[in-house]
Amino acid sequence: MKQAIQTQIERMAARGATYADARWYPFEDQSLLFMWNGNLKEFNASRESGLGVRVLYHGAWGFSAASQLSDLPAVFDQAFDNARAAAERVTFPVRLAEKEALQAQFHSPNRIDPFEVPLGEKINLLRKLDEALTQPGVEQRAIWMNFTRKQIVYFDSEGSEIEKTIIEVFPGMRVMARDPQGGMQSRKFLPSRLGATRGWETMDEALFLEQAGRIVSELNQLVVAEDCPRGQRSVILLPGIMFLQTHETIGHALELDRILGYELSFAGGSFVRLEDFGHLRYGSEKLTARADATLPNSPGSFGFDDDGVPAQNNLLIDKGLLVGAITGRQMVEEANIKAHRQIFAGSSGADRASSFYRVPIERMTNINIDPGSDGSLEDIVRNTEKGVILDGDKSWSIGSNREQFHFATDIGWLVEDGQVKGVVKNATYRGDTLPFYNSLSAVGGPETWEVRYVDNCGKGQPSQIMQLGHGVPVCRFDNVTVGE
Amino acid sequence: MTNPVIELLEELRWYALGKGLKLAIFYHEEQSRLTRFANSAVSLNTSEHLVRLRLIAFEGQRKAEFDLICDPADTASLRGAIDQLADMVALAQPLSYQPTFPVYPQRISDIRAYDEGLAALTSEDRLAFFNEVAQGLESADVRLSGIFSSGVTTTAQISTANENSQFFKVSDAKISVVLSSEKDKWEVNAEQSAQKKSDLNAPALRADLEFLLRCYQQGTPLSLPLGKYRVVFGPAASAEVLEIMAGWGGSGGAMKRGFSFLRPEDVGRQVLSPLLTLVDDANLPELYGQPADEFGVPRGRFQLYEKGVFQGFLWEQDDADEFGEQPTGHTLPSMSLAVAPGSMPCANLEQLAALPRTEDVLYIPYIHYINIVNPSKGLITGSSRFGALLLRADGTIAIPYNVRLTQSFSDFFGERVAWLSRETVVYNTSGTYGRRIPTALRVPRFLCVDGIEVSHSNTSY
Repeated sequence: MKQAIQTQIERMAARGATYADARWYPFEDQSLLFMWNGNLKEFNASRESGLGVRVLYHGAWGFSAASQLSDLPAVFDQAFDNARAAAERVTFPVRLAEKEALQAQFHSPNRIDPFEVPLGEKINLLRKLDEALTQPGVEQRAIWMNFTRKQIVYFDSEGSEIEKTIIEVFPGMRVMARDPQGGMQSRKFLPSRLGATRGWETMDEALFLEQAGRIVSELNQLVVAEDCPRGQRSVILLPGIMFLQTHETIGHALELDRILGYELSFAGGSFVRLEDFGHLRYGSEKLTARADATLPNSPGSFGFDDDGVPAQNNLLIDKGLLVGAITGRQMVEEANIKAHRQIFAGSSGADRASSFYRVPIERMTNINIDPGSDGSLEDIVRNTEKGVILDGDKSWSIGSNREQFHFATDIGWLVEDGQVKGVVKNATYRGDTLPFYNSLSAVGGPETWEVRYVDNCGKGQPSQIMQLGHGVPVCRFDNVTVGE
Repeated sequence: MTNPVIELLEELRWYALGKGLKLAIFYHEEQSRLTRFANSAVSLNTSEHLVRLRLIAFEGQRKAEFDLICDPADTASLRGAIDQLADMVALAQPLSYQPTFPVYPQRISDIRAYDEGLAALTSEDRLAFFNEVAQGLESADVRLSGIFSSGVTTTAQISTANENSQFFKVSDAKISVVLSSEKDKWEVNAEQSAQKKSDLNAPALRADLEFLLRCYQQGTPLSLPLGKYRVVFGPAASAEVLEIMAGWGGSGGAMKRGFSFLRPEDVGRQVLSPLLTLVDDANLPELYGQPADEFGVPRGRFQLYEKGVFQGFLWEQDDADEFGEQPTGHTLPSMSLAVAPGSMPCANLEQLAALPRTEDVLYIPYIHYINIVNPSKGLITGSSRFGALLLRADGTIAIPYNVRLTQSFSDFFGERVAWLSRETVVYNTSGTYGRRIPTALRVPRFLCVDGIEVSHSNTSY
């Protein structure tokens, strides 16, 4: 197959393509076990295989994908024909930033392949956890384990050939119950990425059992809690919601394709403009954010992106100042030319596709907030006059240019005069992105920093769901509207 | 004439029977095309031809599933999946209830919603359509974006219970044309849905765009004061909210688990405005209705709300099995929702702007990034996008920056509904996360509601 693909790429060049690449997925396997109230509702396996081809012709992209590979030339010809048709309407011919042609491999670090673990062992663990969640006050309980394993072989007309094997484990559990008003309350445990690997060995049974007790206890407090009061106060975001805040209002806002208007028909744009790089005060001096695709234990690390560019660790926001973006080869060229200056030295290696049948676009890697110097959660609470600690993503909605947002969280704890005063339910907060980050008044130390995974990031047309990560500390923001 | 899809399913059925396996086989094939525009150019032109198989094995109260995207000619892999599934189902934990094994009562072959003309559209056709819509509307500042997404979706089902099979083939298209200002960052759009080629109407799209463009280029932008407004929603806004309310709020399983804003005692009660009648009508090919669901349960005209009175919950097969209810033909990825027309004659934006008014009216065509804040209260949130207008009482038009609405379904569709337009449109909400799922709703061109609260107002585009 490899030779046949190489031959087709050479044929595209002979037909006049200035660039072509292909991603062959010999397999992408998934195993999902989902237990609801003790019933194994989902006991699924899946396998996808196929080929995606991208061709650049006269400055325009064409893409084609197929699961039927008996007629390989037809898949390439379709991509070529699509590019040729697209070339009829070009305003800014696609140019690709320089990169090195690589012969390389990447294997995500793991000690135990979850697909080699007997299904019976996995089901037994689900049962144990379900028993642990079966406690007074719990009406609904859900536990899931989602395992993925994929092999991607990448070729391009510049001479690269890169083979990647990536394994991931996405587990979680959740308990729910109704409050006296009939409102559904919920607590969940989504483990942060501990250690340096991503295989079955990360399924720490003792940790899950311990956390089962915690979420049940917090749920029972929630159902009898008062509503989160309306008004302005400081919000102290734990990693279980800070990761999503970062995702939606730093990550998506700094995707260069959005900034350049390539997502306006669906996902939206960004309030950030090219002239803002190096000048815009995105947040207070306590805010330093980076795109780090080199973390070993996160799904936002993949070795090489789908342009064949190696993973990198780049600053996005340096002490509050906007300095970088999430980029691929095409967009950095266009941005530099449109800005009449070199903003970007090259691709940051963030062009990824969710599957063989989707085209690579700018995607988050691991968008992290550096830990600060404000100590532990207890230290931050001690220095908070009127606030609320928030945790757990319940709902999220963001303006089309990522300029404003509304989040609801699973749980809140009121803080008055440096003391935690008790649980509140139906907590929400909203704000405008730039004023919000400029109100960042405390960033927790390394002891509060956790790597959280995201397995459902949607973007693009045709739509794509991507996996990535966020390393974030506890953060406090002041004068935030809550409870609406 | 033989059908190669059914032949493939029959071959797999015989293989499963040979192994003594109770197997249901679900086939999905898509030939999707998408031409995407950005910055006044074609930014992407794609084709995807994918075959998916979902295999579900049953053994007593156990079941297990294997999904594939595969080459259907790769018989060894297909048989290997069935072999693996046979091992899996033996390991599965028995459910606390008896899952239904689908027994298809009759052979069905339904291609009413397939149109050869739409299926045969080329890249050149899509580009020509866009060029016709946008001709003369672009400038150095005003750039064209959008999509022309079209596809042919074939689905089929069979099980080892008998030789009956179900076969459906449909064509669908969605066109979204966006004009945006590079300098000011505003954006306006116009959308169209097609099930057949003759549904395509470039001049209608162009008329909406021209009107909005004129408003945005001439109007004064403003940050809207917070408070309550009379709001007219466009078809995209109505369709998205209705779809969430009907599918998730009306689900019997969600109700039983405490995730619906509706309770059993709401059946027969006035829940929404008497002006609102909502039906899931499987008889309408333009809404991709089909005569049976994926488990072979017959589908027809399922009344959800009759003049605002809630008629009953939807029961998909697994929920019906678990809670001892009768399935209602809703084991399928999308419904065919249709809202009965209202009485206000108002067919387009020009007519809306010309309607007499004694107060300011906010027009919101589209709600961006809707999410459910509180499921049991039916509370959702989202922001306006793509061409909101403030139709002032004095007849002038201002341009509001985007606003946030955090409101319940009863706020949207309850007693404060003022009117629905007499004209309805088909709005395509086809999903493309993963597989293509042709979906469309028939909704009023305009829906007017009083007392909608603006809780957040942007201070710029």
